[in-house]
Amino acid sequence: MAEYKLDCLFEACPIPLLKALKQLEKMSIGDVLIMHTDHNCSIKNVVEWTKKQGHYIDYIEISEGEWEIYIEKAR
Amino acid sequence: MTSNKIEELIKKRQMENKKKKNQTPYGIGVTLLALVIYLALLNYNLRFSSFWIIGILIGVTMQRSRFCFAASFRDPIMVGSTSLLKAILIALIISTVGFFIIQYNTIEIHGLHLLENIPGQLKPVGLHTALGAILFGVGMVIAGGCASGTLMRIGEGYILQIVVLIGFIIGATMGARHFEFWDKILISKSKTIYIPKYLGLFPSLIIQLIVLVGLYFVADWFDKKNSIMSSM
Repeated sequence: MAEYKLDCLFEACPIPLLKALKQLEKMSIGDVLIMHTDHNCSIKNVVEWTKKQGHYIDYIEISEGEWEIYIEKAR
Repeated sequence: MTSNKIEELIKKRQMENKKKKNQTPYGIGVTLLALVIYLALLNYNLRFSSFWIIGILIGVTMQRSRFCFAASFRDPIMVGSTSLLKAILIALIISTVGFFIIQYNTIEIHGLHLLENIPGQLKPVGLHTALGAILFGVGMVIAGGCASGTLMRIGEGYILQIVVLIGFIIGATMGARHFEFWDKILISKSKTIYIPKYLGLFPSLIIQLIVLVGLYFVADWFDKKNSIMSSM
């Protein structure tokens, strides 16, 4: 299992989602992608999209207005 | 939907995390300030007070729900998710009924002869509408938010959007400056089309509702088509 980090600070919608989408394509099943973002819309955006695609996802707020989104590729 | 791997990682992350600052006092302070201004405006200017409170309520709703006009029109095309587009359609259905009630009351009094008397934004439609829509659509996707979304995100502290606000101010000022030019070549030549004038208020209400509900079902179908359930 590998871990990938993705820096999405100061990126507005839809860039974080597009970055995640491209990165997920390169990863193999079971790998975890950690996205670092400060855009609260990308949480809703990315979480909704990932759930629809059937991957595992959760996120935490690591400091004020900064989140880390964890995505495990499931298929 | 989460997995053991993610839960472990998050637990580890939470351990090394320092405690966040407590923002509740600021929240209470700002709420009190907003209420004080509202009460002051109630005595001073009733119109401003309703602008103030409705604006704040819309802002809070947009921030908490992460409502975004830009995303609602962008996401269906980009990633095939229409949850925000459906939200906009529901909002349009509700406001259609609301505007019907308001306009019905006015038309009862004044009749349907003078469009100027009817409340709402009845403006000429033509080539300039399409041009403006394309410009605004391209702009809001690049900027990452429409006008209200940009303001809401500045309010929650997303600094990038201040750049957008500067561009927004420049654009709006230039638009106001050049309005006469556009008015001369396009707007004044276009017609204001108010469908109830031709069909009557009730039929146009029913048609508009049918179209909106139809669009809602199309959006719902599109969302399901693009989800995992059908692609497996």
